Amino acid sequence: MTVRAVADSSVGRVDGMKTLAKSEFETLIDGLIDDDPRSVVGPQRRSGQYVFEELDSAADLALEYDLTALSPKKYLLPQYEQLLTYERTDGEYEMHAGTDTEGVIIVGVHPYDLAAIEHLDKVHIDTMGDEPYRKRREDSLLIGLTMQSVAPESFAASMGAATTDSGYDLLVTDIGDRFVVDIGSFEGNELLADLDTHSASHSEVQEVRRIEDDLRGRFERELQFPPEELPTLLAEHYDDMEFWESYAEQCLSCGSCNMVCPTCYCFQVETVRDLGGDSGYQQRSWDGCLLEEFASVAQGENFREEVAQRHRHRFMRKGLYVYERYGDVSCVGCGRCTRHCVADVADPTDVYNDLWEATNA
Amino acid sequence: MTERPRVAFFDFTGCEGDQLQVVNLEERLFDLVEVVEVVSFREAMSEHSDDYEIAFIEGSVVTAHDEERLAGIRENADVVVALGSCAAFGGINAIRNDQDFETVTERVYGDDADMIEANPEARPIESVVEVDATIPGCPIDREEFVQVVTGLIRGVEPTLPNHPVCVECKLEENECAFHRDEICLGPVTRGGCGADCVGEGTHCWGCRGMVDTPSEDAYTAVLEEHGLDAEEIVEQYQLYWGWQRPERATQEEAQ
Amino acid sequence: MLETTETVRSEYEPVQGRIAWIEQFTDQDKLYVISLPDDVELDHDPGQFVELFVPGVGEAPFSISSSPTKDGPLELCIRAVGNVTRALDSMEGGDPLGIRGPYGTGFDPEALAGDDLLFVAGGIGLAPLRSMINYALDRSGEFGDLTTLYGCKEPAEQLFPEELQRWDDSEEMAFYETVDQCPEDQTWEGREGVITELIPEAEFDPETTTALVCGPPVMYRFVIESLQEQGLADDHIYLSLERNMHCGRGLCGHCQINELYVCVDGPVFNYPEVRDKSEAEV
Ligand code: SF4
Ligand code: SF4
Ligand code: SF4
Ligand code: SF4
Ligand code: FES
Repeated sequence: MTVRAVADSSVGRVDGMKTLAKSEFETLIDGLIDDDPRSVVGPQRRSGQYVFEELDSAADLALEYDLTALSPKKYLLPQYEQLLTYERTDGEYEMHAGTDTEGVIIVGVHPYDLAAIEHLDKVHIDTMGDEPYRKRREDSLLIGLTMQSVAPESFAASMGAATTDSGYDLLVTDIGDRFVVDIGSFEGNELLADLDTHSASHSEVQEVRRIEDDLRGRFERELQFPPEELPTLLAEHYDDMEFWESYAEQCLSCGSCNMVCPTCYCFQVETVRDLGGDSGYQQRSWDGCLLEEFASVAQGENFREEVAQRHRHRFMRKGLYVYERYGDVSCVGCGRCTRHCVADVADPTDVYNDLWEATNA
Repeated sequence: MTERPRVAFFDFTGCEGDQLQVVNLEERLFDLVEVVEVVSFREAMSEHSDDYEIAFIEGSVVTAHDEERLAGIRENADVVVALGSCAAFGGINAIRNDQDFETVTERVYGDDADMIEANPEARPIESVVEVDATIPGCPIDREEFVQVVTGLIRGVEPTLPNHPVCVECKLEENECAFHRDEICLGPVTRGGCGADCVGEGTHCWGCRGMVDTPSEDAYTAVLEEHGLDAEEIVEQYQLYWGWQRPERATQEEAQ
Repeated sequence: MLETTETVRSEYEPVQGRIAWIEQFTDQDKLYVISLPDDVELDHDPGQFVELFVPGVGEAPFSISSSPTKDGPLELCIRAVGNVTRALDSMEGGDPLGIRGPYGTGFDPEALAGDDLLFVAGGIGLAPLRSMINYALDRSGEFGDLTTLYGCKEPAEQLFPEELQRWDDSEEMAFYETVDQCPEDQTWEGREGVITELIPEAEFDPETTTALVCGPPVMYRFVIESLQEQGLADDHIYLSLERNMHCGRGLCGHCQINELYVCVDGPVFNYPEVRDKSEAEV
């Protein structure tokens, strides 16, 4: 997401808003499940946590969720994906790019995850051109959802990603007995065509605004300074090895913080051979800069051998490197890394606030 | 390597669970015998031959006789593969390595303990012969076996994943065992299994051995944080790493 | 609604090339001459790289050794040190493989036009530089004086022996060569010593010279220091760096040096671009 001022909710989207009964929304989702060739996925409860999973019925949606284990990024940039298949016949190789690139209808995406996808779009479509990503993304629909619960680890408000006015086909807000829906795209509008909706009234729109304003005050964690200052702050502390080591000492190098992050997109490519030996595929899978071998080369040299160097790289990349290249701070404040770090040293607010205090104390 | 290399399976001290995994390839077993010629495999056939190129060795080395037999296999084979954790790094057999040997034999064999002629330690095969490839796991992962076999035929030097189990655990979206207040060895255990055990509702026991550079101090701190005392922590490490962990420590000191 | 099953033609799909012939330089190093399909043109800059795919083994990045001034097959000089390179080592003429690229930012001949060029190649670092060296030789009118310094560990590790001989004989380019040392079982009549020792010996005017450097990671710091001692300004030094490149396209993150992507911003960098990047190790 772009480093943006915390959204000013007085501008905006009154015209596009519609109101519909909750049952109508269920009708929409169930209709898509039945009729759309794409799979329809949404947040559901699964053994102690929330996860995005394929929906059997709209009734399975857990729209009260605070944070899912992985973000819906997994549908656009899957954990494992065939990038290239090969097959040998008579000494000739057939090599084809992977074809498993179907779009998905993703229901119930929180604003911080929408912001993360906007960032991924910028990298994979606008700038670098990753064909499998582009194909999936362009064939997918995003039905956003205003947060109802706030995860204790989250600081999305500080990153300007607690609410959003872009990045979705539809954005749904629960105002009690009804949903107010903002239409973000032509396709989103199409979805509503056959449903019983009416234009949102002034007071309904006011209610959405009130919910959003209220939401921004409900975060337990925050950045003590505007995210625009992150790049400079990080650049200043690049050589402060003592600081990075103090965190790294407790870090397990397990890579969990990378794996769960909605804006991380590093990957590795490996060969998977079929047993017959003449065919197989190149598999891309998620990789992370905290892992020991991430920066090592075939000859054995490791350019980020120390945990502290890797730890630093993660934060530099999020707050400085990606910003310099794409103009986005690549953290939306979802809090997943904090939640999943067994050693409790991944929390960006801890690290960034500590740096801030070191500079401004 | 020849087009269709001759392979043999051998078992030492272990449960044969890894060879069972190979048998369990089921229909893919037919594909396997398309690409290799199995000349010796007690789990699945009665014939035996000493003419083979790849030797898969299951189980750890416990007796002097084991050592001799292993040396003989090494001479016959071009490629020696340690199959399963016992062969790869001592595995669960090494649980007793730091315990008093007589107590162990008495506990296990009772009055017959005197008749047991085992070495005091269970060791991986690499402590006796040179090993070309390792497939850890208790039991092994079938897909990893397939990749190693097809790789060897293709001339690829098999490399083990060196990321901890947590990576795959996250990709599978399992609930973290620590969140349920269970202890899990995943953060210092070599991945490659798809975090199967966590997926099945338990936690990682460390069966694939340690990653190359485990962050042991940081991990020990996590265990302390979760209320384990020093002895309990060692117990965790000891289940599979009775040989590997002290060995690592010695090597590190030597450097 | 959008179609969901259309096949993608992606950047990750290589074209099938074929090994035309192989020339063995040392125990470990070979030159692979690879022909591409007729309708495919590589159109590369000197210093760029390709991703080479050996089916069943994997993909790895290699600098292009041939010069774009010559039509004809692609040449890659490769040392057998990893799985892909070892698999290549066992391949023969006629064997198929996949190629995608070219990738990265190479040397910019236009920016170098008019300069005296000083090539400093250590070991396998000659592979990427050779592309630019031959470019400069083929279009010597576009550049000033040309000088190449080449050093390898021992005589048995010398690459492109015949070509080196031609360079040595050539009027167009001054050529200096050294080996770190000559073991007793090898013969060597040339000089012994590390490559940095050649730098003060070579005759070049620091005002008009641009140095192009490639070698093993440990070499850079010493070579740069020595060039600076000879009065070369930092922005007159170009380095070609090597990292672990999986995608070649600025996405996978493996090749990153601080904020720079070696696969996109490099592998060729002007020294000031990387001077203050601690991860560049230069
Ligand atoms: S910061 Fe936490 S999650 Fe990230 S690698 Fe370190 S221990 Fe693992
Ligand atoms: S760095 Fe952490 S908080 Fe920020 S987007 Fe990634 S997982 Fe979420
Ligand atoms: S359950 Fe174990 S392997 Fe999985 S994330 Fe937690 S610590 Fe890591
Ligand atoms: S989760 Fe741990 S114990 Fe289970 S198979 Fe994997 S490495 Fe072995
Ligand atoms: S090789 Fe993937 S980002 Fe450079």
